Amino acid sequence: MNYKCPVCKKEWPTSLQVARHIFGTGDKPHREWVGSKGYSYIDLLLEQVSAPGNKSYEIMSKLVEEEQDKIK
Amino acid sequence: MSTEIKELKFTTFKTNIKYSVINKRVHNIDGLAKVTGRATYTFDVKLPNMLYGKILRSPHPHARIVNIDASKALAMPGVIAVATGKDTPGVKQGIWRRYPELCDEQILPLEKVRYIGEPVAAVAAVTEEIAEKALELIDVEYEVLPPVFQPLDAIRKDAPIIHEGVERNINVTRHIEWGDVDDAFAEAEKDGYIREDWFRTSSQHHMCMETRAAVSSFTPDGKLTVYCSTQSPYYMQALLAGVLDMREGDIRVIAHYVGGGFGGKFELDAAIFCSAVLSKKTFRPVKIVFTREEDFIASKRRTPMHYYIRTAMKKDGTFLAREVRVFTNGGAYTGMGATALYLTGFFCSFPYKWRGYRYDGYRVYTNTLPSTAMRGFGAPQAMFCSEQQIEWMCADLGLDPYEVRRKNAHTECYEVPGQAYIQSCGMTQCIDKIEAWAKSKGNLGPNRAIGVSAAGFMSGGIFNWFDTPYSFSSAVVVINYDGKVDLYVGCQEIGQGSNTTMAIICAETLGVKIEDINVYSGDTAHSPADLGAWGSRQTLMAGNAVKMAAEDAKRQLLEFAYAEMGLNIVYDLDIKDRWVHVIARPERGMKYEDLVKRAIRGKDGQRIIGRGYYTPHRKGMISPAYSYMMQAVDAEIDPETGKITLHEVMTAHDCGQPINPLGLIGQLEGAASMALGFGYLEDQPMDEGKILNPNLVDYKVIRATEMPKTDMIEIDTYEAEGPYGAKEAGEGLTNPTAAALGNAIFHALGLQMKELPITSEKIVNALKEKKEKQGK
Repeated sequence: MNYKCPVCKKEWPTSLQVARHIFGTGDKPHREWVGSKGYSYIDLLLEQVSAPGNKSYEIMSKLVEEEQDKIK
Repeated sequence: MSTEIKELKFTTFKTNIKYSVINKRVHNIDGLAKVTGRATYTFDVKLPNMLYGKILRSPHPHARIVNIDASKALAMPGVIAVATGKDTPGVKQGIWRRYPELCDEQILPLEKVRYIGEPVAAVAAVTEEIAEKALELIDVEYEVLPPVFQPLDAIRKDAPIIHEGVERNINVTRHIEWGDVDDAFAEAEKDGYIREDWFRTSSQHHMCMETRAAVSSFTPDGKLTVYCSTQSPYYMQALLAGVLDMREGDIRVIAHYVGGGFGGKFELDAAIFCSAVLSKKTFRPVKIVFTREEDFIASKRRTPMHYYIRTAMKKDGTFLAREVRVFTNGGAYTGMGATALYLTGFFCSFPYKWRGYRYDGYRVYTNTLPSTAMRGFGAPQAMFCSEQQIEWMCADLGLDPYEVRRKNAHTECYEVPGQAYIQSCGMTQCIDKIEAWAKSKGNLGPNRAIGVSAAGFMSGGIFNWFDTPYSFSSAVVVINYDGKVDLYVGCQEIGQGSNTTMAIICAETLGVKIEDINVYSGDTAHSPADLGAWGSRQTLMAGNAVKMAAEDAKRQLLEFAYAEMGLNIVYDLDIKDRWVHVIARPERGMKYEDLVKRAIRGKDGQRIIGRGYYTPHRKGMISPAYSYMMQAVDAEIDPETGKITLHEVMTAHDCGQPINPLGLIGQLEGAASMALGFGYLEDQPMDEGKILNPNLVDYKVIRATEMPKTDMIEIDTYEAEGPYGAKEAGEGLTNPTAAALGNAIFHALGLQMKELPITSEKIVNALKEKKEKQGK
């Protein structure tokens, strides 16, 4: 099963790839979607760079997975 | 100082072809014009009725432009025009035509200035002196805004916003990842070794012999001709069309001789833009030449970086995973810095195989001179951090650093997951050669050691952020009645020997002498579109286009030869050294000149024309091919003063088939001087955003007397994607040097230097710190 971006509906085989796409795109609609889920896009970015591990990408992957059923 | 190629040895794919022109030591075909002073650089261009332009620059790092009053300047005798942002279409420009949000720079800004030295207005006058004086008469009212200079300050919540709408001043982010990084780190935590380090790399000026310069001439028929110092006439033509609201075809860009580029001259600069705007206003030619100081303060720079690297390896030295985080100081605008951000992340994995690799890069706007591409394109910064950390990890574990590098090195036909396909690769041979060389030197005595570093680099970039609709490189070969060949190329000669390389490839392919070739480049009116001289792309990309064009022309000639000679169709013909012959019976043939004459008559008087082009396909994300190298720096350090004495730089280098060994030596020496400067001398310290050393007294570049002996062992592989097996040779040689110097200092004094440049002062301080720690 492919995972879709909740904003632009582009598809990738894994939710991590969608997470990368969202971070990499970073335009207003994508940032706002992250905001609507209760997270700050910028803070997640900074968390990713300032702490070891891959926490922010994992959070985003989870958000993407949770959203799949709602994407038309 | 001397350079020689010690050895030429085929290692990867041995070819039995004997070349007539390739791999011969050829002097640059434009050398005579240069050494006799007849080469016309932009500085030398003088047109009738020409005006001289000067640029007024911002004294503030961050300010709103409230008003510009040029009335007093315009009243000054000899002043013809003043241009401000209001005289332009106000287009935010940049090389990122596929990504408009990254096109963020108005060269004459309408609302805000974002760094000290940013252009605010430009004057055209009958003399340069009058233009200079007139600048003092322009009144600019600013509303000064709070500035921010460091990326780690600029991302804070309360930091001033430099570009409206760009949250926390984060300009661009880049992420690269493959494999299960966390799993690999977990394995290392159980039974391996993990090390993390923080580094800082510095700024560097491109230091071209020729400063930015342009002469623009706009005529009443709506045509614009621009003579300029650029790495890409095609880019300048297209970018000018965008910012001036003109058609590309109405703009002609001429750059016959260029005094160096090094990555700093393929964006639109203020000399080009302001001279064009002033010429459009006055209908007279306008010349602008940057002073050396202007070049320092307003022509962009190498990207300074904050680097964090965490690396995991098995106890036997097998690499497991690497995690890299980078913040770069982007300065006020995007420029080419976004690509440097990607490439530094990619090349920090080079030239090794990793089970898992993760990179997060952040480019941050600050109120400083914008950073951009510079020779190595982010890779020298990556290698400085990566290769020192590898050396330290080997020391920590008691492993042989040569063996560890060999164990993990790229090999032929390796795929960097999701990123790159490696075809030819001479990395392990490079390691073998440098290890043997270093060991042959024996004991060097106290405070002196050899440090090594591996590296690799791309042979041109695949990325098409410019969104060009044209082939990446194109060439046209025209054979005339007397056998002379006109070669039209869009690739750009900037002093690196591009025209000579193209002439060699053309001559070899056609089977003629190099003196039979006339190369025409650097003029958009005659040269086919080509992306230009950056990213080590020309030998492979333009070389392939030239080879294809020459093969096309040669095929047409040989068709006539077949008919003329009445041969059995199973016989093959070729041309070598101007002799058209049957390959199996070389004595049977005819003169090239005779064949050309007959062929042209046979084509109803048409000259023989061959066309060639090249655009990479199915070669991954980065480049069609990669060079490899291992470099050793022999350095001695005075522990009292921290002074570094460089004894020798030896490089084992895989650039595929060398096209011109003399050109290769020139690239090696140039790269060594630039990269050693990056390693221990060059920096651009700032105070409140103002560069403190914008002159050649205070900005230290390596001098001839400080230049060590540089030698090369060429590892001669064959790259299937390159013309005659050639790939990158030149830019990549900048990558390993600072790291090798750092490793020499590590082995000589036991210091781990994490900040560039490694100045004498830093060495003395590090020694003091080491002694204090030992005392405790």
